[in-house]
Amino acid sequence: MTIDFTDIVIVAGNYGSGKTETAVNLAAACRSTGKSVAIADLDLVNPYFRTREARIPLEAMGIQVVLPDRQYLFADLPILAPAVVDILRQPADVTILDAGGDDVGVTVLASLAALLKNKPVRMLQVINAFRPFTNDVAGCLKIRKEIEASGKINITGLVSNANLMDDTSVAHIYQGYDLVKQVSAHTGLPVEFITATPEISSQLDFNRISCPVLTLDRHLLPPWKPTGARPPSHLTLKT
Amino acid sequence: MAKVLMKGNEAIGEAAIRAGCKNYFAYPITPQSEVAEYLSKRLPEEGGVFLQGESEVAVGYMIFGAAGAGERVMTTSSSPGISLMSEALSYIAAAQCPAVFVNIMRGGPGLGGILPSQGDYFQATKGGGHGDYHLLVLAPDGVQEAVEMTMQAFTLAEKYRNPVMIMGDGLIGQMMEPVEFPDGLKTEPTNKDDWATNGMAHRKSKKRNLVKSLFLDPTALNDNNLALKAKYAQMKKEEVQYELVNADTDYQVLITSYGTMSRVCRTAIDMLKEDGIQVAMLRPKTLFPFPEKAVFDASGKDSCQAVISIEMSMGQMVEDVERCVKGRRPVEFYGECGGDIPSPEKIIEIIKALL
Repeated sequence: MTIDFTDIVIVAGNYGSGKTETAVNLAAACRSTGKSVAIADLDLVNPYFRTREARIPLEAMGIQVVLPDRQYLFADLPILAPAVVDILRQPADVTILDAGGDDVGVTVLASLAALLKNKPVRMLQVINAFRPFTNDVAGCLKIRKEIEASGKINITGLVSNANLMDDTSVAHIYQGYDLVKQVSAHTGLPVEFITATPEISSQLDFNRISCPVLTLDRHLLPPWKPTGARPPSHLTLKT
Repeated sequence: MAKVLMKGNEAIGEAAIRAGCKNYFAYPITPQSEVAEYLSKRLPEEGGVFLQGESEVAVGYMIFGAAGAGERVMTTSSSPGISLMSEALSYIAAAQCPAVFVNIMRGGPGLGGILPSQGDYFQATKGGGHGDYHLLVLAPDGVQEAVEMTMQAFTLAEKYRNPVMIMGDGLIGQMMEPVEFPDGLKTEPTNKDDWATNGMAHRKSKKRNLVKSLFLDPTALNDNNLALKAKYAQMKKEEVQYELVNADTDYQVLITSYGTMSRVCRTAIDMLKEDGIQVAMLRPKTLFPFPEKAVFDASGKDSCQAVISIEMSMGQMVEDVERCVKGRRPVEFYGECGGDIPSPEKIIEIIKALL
């Protein structure tokens, strides 16, 4: 099973659900199938660990990365780059918008509503079952409702990004997948894919999972990881 | 309880709840606003109160009020906000009230930047506000330790009737790590009837309590300062916490470092070991009281040629390190404080240059 996305993909979810890691790796996966890919950082909320940190490896793959102007890169100001409007007017084969967390993070989508109207848009809710507020179905549904109300756009699919970072085990991936399946049963929304690191991915029983698995390289690493531990500019592109 | 994945800021908020704190007053500032965001959702579920003050100055006195009334209370801020609270910190210390202050440091001075820094070491350990007072200062190196120290902070604040500060750099607040919330760290609030203005109705004693920092009588003021001094002496005796890394080797260099910076140094130490170079680290977990004797002892090892303090500052803790090494070894310093954290490779380069 592969992820075959086209057009506009918005990656949303609750704060800290792993939207940016998901968006960055999704961009790389789409690019590896030969499609043109653009990714924009719409996260106006979170001051650290944003798409901007993965800029160099993404650009090395030929992905168009849209970030705020350099002079505002380290500001905690809600700045939306004008280039975001440009890429929505002339989208790539796949245009990925990395939204901010929670309802406040997607407020910006409402301002882009005119541009998104009548375009095929996939709006993903990323869920990590090990984060506060989304460890049960009710929590996930509450976040969904808040995101939809604030972003003025409906969620069309679910993604499980279950992880405890370096402490993640295969069992955690299954647990997260099962939660997202339950949310899917409640909402009728499809589970678009789940994520796993290459190491965990190789241990998964794919008969237990009826959706694609996005292999996820961590780009947003803490500063004490040696430079050699960072993913090379050519990412692992297995889905 | 099973592990959950939390940001440092969220985990500090949850830890406060687990410690029995029902009162949280704050004013938003990057990079710690998630504490308020988290507690604004969680505290009402626990019957607690989050109130956003109109400024950090106001928040400081809201903390003073709640602490004086004998309530467990916390605020969180970042560097410029702590400067605004410094007057209240001095008043709270003088009036001998327990309270927990969290500083998720950003670059300074002035408005500085929003990226991580350790530039407030002097402010936290040497005063900040006016007068002869100290804060008890805890410095976590990750999210799990931030949880444990936040819970301990309430107990320590009550033990000494003194404000306790958690010093985390921006990364401690912003990064995510898996955490557990240990049940064993929760303590019962101490009996505050002897000093708090917590109402006469339920008390046996009919003594009227007064929370104040004004002592116009010179003897009374001197006595209050002597009482504070005695508490700080007791902290130095009973509360020093530190960690030694790779210290059972014949290390050539001793690093002193804390918080996020110490995590980078730890990686550098592991990498240097593979090159056959032994380096140890002393990581203070309490910045006040400072691990004075431990620094003196560790620097005195025969194999140790030099001590280097590595900080995300322009050289602050190094002054305490120099004081404690007492001239036995050369004390060097390396620091950056624009917001970019030095890489393990950079630290290795610095250490190799010392040999």
